Amino acid sequence: MAAIIGTRTVKKKKISNLKKIVSRKIIPPLVAITIFLIIWQLLCLNPNFKLPGPIETISETWDPFIINPFFDNGETDKGLGWQILNSLGRVGTGFSLAAITGITLGIIIGANKLLYNAVDPIIQVLRTVPPLAWLPISLAAFQQANPSAIFVIFITSIWPILINTIVGVQQIPQDYINVARILRLKGFRYFWKIVFPATVPYIFTGLRIGIGLSWLAIVAAEMLVGGIGIGSFIWDAYNTTTETNLSEIILALVYVGLVGLLLDKLVAFIARKVVPAEQK
Amino acid sequence: MKTFVEVDHVDRVFDIPNGGKYIALKNIELKIRQGEFISLLGHSGCGKSTLLNIIAGLDKATVGGVTLEGREVKEPGPDRMVVFQNYSLLPWLTVRENIALAVDEVFKDKPKGERRSIVEEHIDMVGLRHAAKKRPSELSGGMKQRVAIARALAIRPKLLLLDEPFGALDALTRGSLQEQLMKICNQHNVTCVMVTHDVDEALFLSDRIVMLTNGPEAHIGQILEVPIPRPRQRLEVVNHPSYYRLRNEMIYFLNQQKLLKKRKAAQIPASTLTVSGTLEKIHLEIGFMPLTDAAPLIVAKEKGFFANYGLETVILNRADNWTEIATGVAAGKLDAAQMLAGMPLALTLGAGGKTPIPVVNALNLSRNSNAITLSKKLYSEGVRTPEKLKATIKAYPDRILTLGIAHPTAMQNLILRYWLAAGGIDPDRDISLAVIPPTQMVKQLKAGIIDGYCAGEPWNYLAVRENAGFVAATALEIWPGQPKKVLGVREDWAQKHPKTYVALVKALLEACKYCDDLRNREEIVELICRPQYLDIDPACVRPGFIAPYDRGDGMPPQNLTTYHQFYLHQTNCPNRTELLWMVTQMARWGLVPFPKNWVEVIERVCRTDVFGAAARDLGLLDIEQDDPIHLFDGKVFNPSQPIEYLQSLEIKRQIRIEEVFI
Repeated sequence: MAAIIGTRTVKKKKISNLKKIVSRKIIPPLVAITIFLIIWQLLCLNPNFKLPGPIETISETWDPFIINPFFDNGETDKGLGWQILNSLGRVGTGFSLAAITGITLGIIIGANKLLYNAVDPIIQVLRTVPPLAWLPISLAAFQQANPSAIFVIFITSIWPILINTIVGVQQIPQDYINVARILRLKGFRYFWKIVFPATVPYIFTGLRIGIGLSWLAIVAAEMLVGGIGIGSFIWDAYNTTTETNLSEIILALVYVGLVGLLLDKLVAFIARKVVPAEQK
Repeated sequence: MKTFVEVDHVDRVFDIPNGGKYIALKNIELKIRQGEFISLLGHSGCGKSTLLNIIAGLDKATVGGVTLEGREVKEPGPDRMVVFQNYSLLPWLTVRENIALAVDEVFKDKPKGERRSIVEEHIDMVGLRHAAKKRPSELSGGMKQRVAIARALAIRPKLLLLDEPFGALDALTRGSLQEQLMKICNQHNVTCVMVTHDVDEALFLSDRIVMLTNGPEAHIGQILEVPIPRPRQRLEVVNHPSYYRLRNEMIYFLNQQKLLKKRKAAQIPASTLTVSGTLEKIHLEIGFMPLTDAAPLIVAKEKGFFANYGLETVILNRADNWTEIATGVAAGKLDAAQMLAGMPLALTLGAGGKTPIPVVNALNLSRNSNAITLSKKLYSEGVRTPEKLKATIKAYPDRILTLGIAHPTAMQNLILRYWLAAGGIDPDRDISLAVIPPTQMVKQLKAGIIDGYCAGEPWNYLAVRENAGFVAATALEIWPGQPKKVLGVREDWAQKHPKTYVALVKALLEACKYCDDLRNREEIVELICRPQYLDIDPACVRPGFIAPYDRGDGMPPQNLTTYHQFYLHQTNCPNRTELLWMVTQMARWGLVPFPKNWVEVIERVCRTDVFGAAARDLGLLDIEQDDPIHLFDGKVFNPSQPIEYLQSLEIKRQIRIEEVFI
């Protein structure tokens, strides 16, 4: 008897949990989005308003942009899927470079007080330079569009990674350092066994900020350097005077936002898997 | 006893942000045997963890050092593994990996298979087989600490250091872990030092319990031996006859420390005083008795040491007897005074039924220069030693000998009584003791009113010179290095004039140094014999001071270089062990009840912090001597067990043990 009663309550609990999630986490955002779209649509009813409303946007971009993200008409006339993948490729390259360099440098600088004091002012100045300000220099240096864009990603995302890694190394709990000192862990083994794992939570914070910044920067950079990519797509759409260009831009913006969100969640997900609960 | 670990005069001084210094630990001296379990007990903030870290090598002593098997500890190492209160496990590693990290690092040379088996063995030892693959975040506090202990033991440390290992655990877990730890320690004969504030834990696990006083300048207040045999069982330990006595003693000690802390919070500690700044008082009146060992005071005034340290006018007030000095200081008429070594204690304890007046001592002015003089008549009866004296007393039962002392609290009284009692003479029943001003002693001895006395110089030599008596024993034979005169001030005066106090101690310390230089002695003899001071023929002062000392016993005069000791052999630092010995002697003869709160009383009277501040400013050694007291009869005085010592003495009065409220 008891067992049966037990399962019944468990089932009931599960159902009520699901209900809770739906009522708290799903319904309110849906309502908010609906209200947002209605306000947008209402604003666009005004004839002086040049921007398309939501219904117009979707109907104008339905074919081919929404239903066929991977069409390829040659040159830069490609589906949004291709555009985004291209941008992601650049971000991936630049961000990976930034992550490797940032973490390595960060550990070295964080472990060395003198070095930290020496380079900290430089880092503080350089990190405030807006991403696009790097573009002329990188264009001059690389003479090519693609490497320049990658460099901008690199230089934008390296600072949060570097700074967070430095802080992480500096904030290693004294306990871990004591353990290492007693066991006489030294040199590379000390970095590999203690410093790196202890810094991982900070590194991931840096990576998360870094990926967000790179995605911000890539759109702007691509607008200027051209080629295939979501940024250039927006800029090209703006420069053509077709009926549907504004709807294309709005759609691209939505995609940019969604991809940015996904990137952020992806890094957060990896962090959850890698960082042990006690260290957070 | 072979010393395994030695903590050798460790000081730890921290720089504080405002530029001052905080002396956390002062003069810690501890020897640990192989296989011994030591607990460090004290209130939080008393520096016990700092001491543990210094032993571990994680922190460095400012002065002194630690040796393990004769080698100096310079850096942390796996031979001194620490178990931390917060476990310090690496959260990204599993239980097995945490232990393996240590084992792999320490036993690099061993083959992999052997290392694996060590790891597995220790996982089993603490019973964590089921959790071997878990990370620390998945474990309870007790399990984590078991992992930490396993990790520590797996690398076979010579010394296991535990920093409040069970502090964060619930009572049940704590109990079972304590038992496990003890079993493992017994099995592997591990030497342990554990920091704790749990008295029962300390009693259950330790061979010796080292109790630290409160910071600043924390030092070892008392060491308790735990005589409970091993192996111990939790339930049986409490039935041991000494369990509750030891437990009470520990709790009493901690309570005393708490009281001291409260009072200290209201005071400005001397160590934080800055040297600069104006003195609170620059016109002082200091009392002295016309004795050879008033030399530091006279020298400080005449040679301008007082003025050098900003004390513009110092009036030296000559007293005729010690009571005058005592009442002068008690009434606040005198700012400070040269006192007999036992006087600050006696005044603080209210000896003789008087109201207790806390008087503190931060400087010993002189040592030795006491002697026991007996009449020529006794000399002709063949008396040389206390045993002989006893024989004479027995031989003439009708005659009652009278011996003179300067003051009941004088070292002379304590020494004379000790000397007599060591010979089997009860100083209150077999003879009579009379308090006589030292200036009268020779006269009365000559007149036959007394048959001898114990006094300072020049009164012993004068009797020899006038052929009235002979010196039966000097301080050098009874207790070489015994404290003689100290600088006493009222505690409230010391609190009101902290900078003046340090300046005064500094001036006198310089003067003491000057006095101990034999090249200056001729000049000093001239100074002290002036009419306003001793007013005496220099010839009476010279023997024992600069000239050979004639004892009047037919032997040729001897050169007693340390008879008047003002500076050398760590004369000046007030010493807790000596003070404690004096308290036991005063209690022995019923002058005072033995204070149950003796740690507190001595801590109050003995101002090593003021001495230390002065000595450091002068660039001198600022620690007290820690040699045990060597008395002529060879009896050992263990400063951790004064009551046991008192009870072991044969001739004594009824001893009262009371708490003294000051």
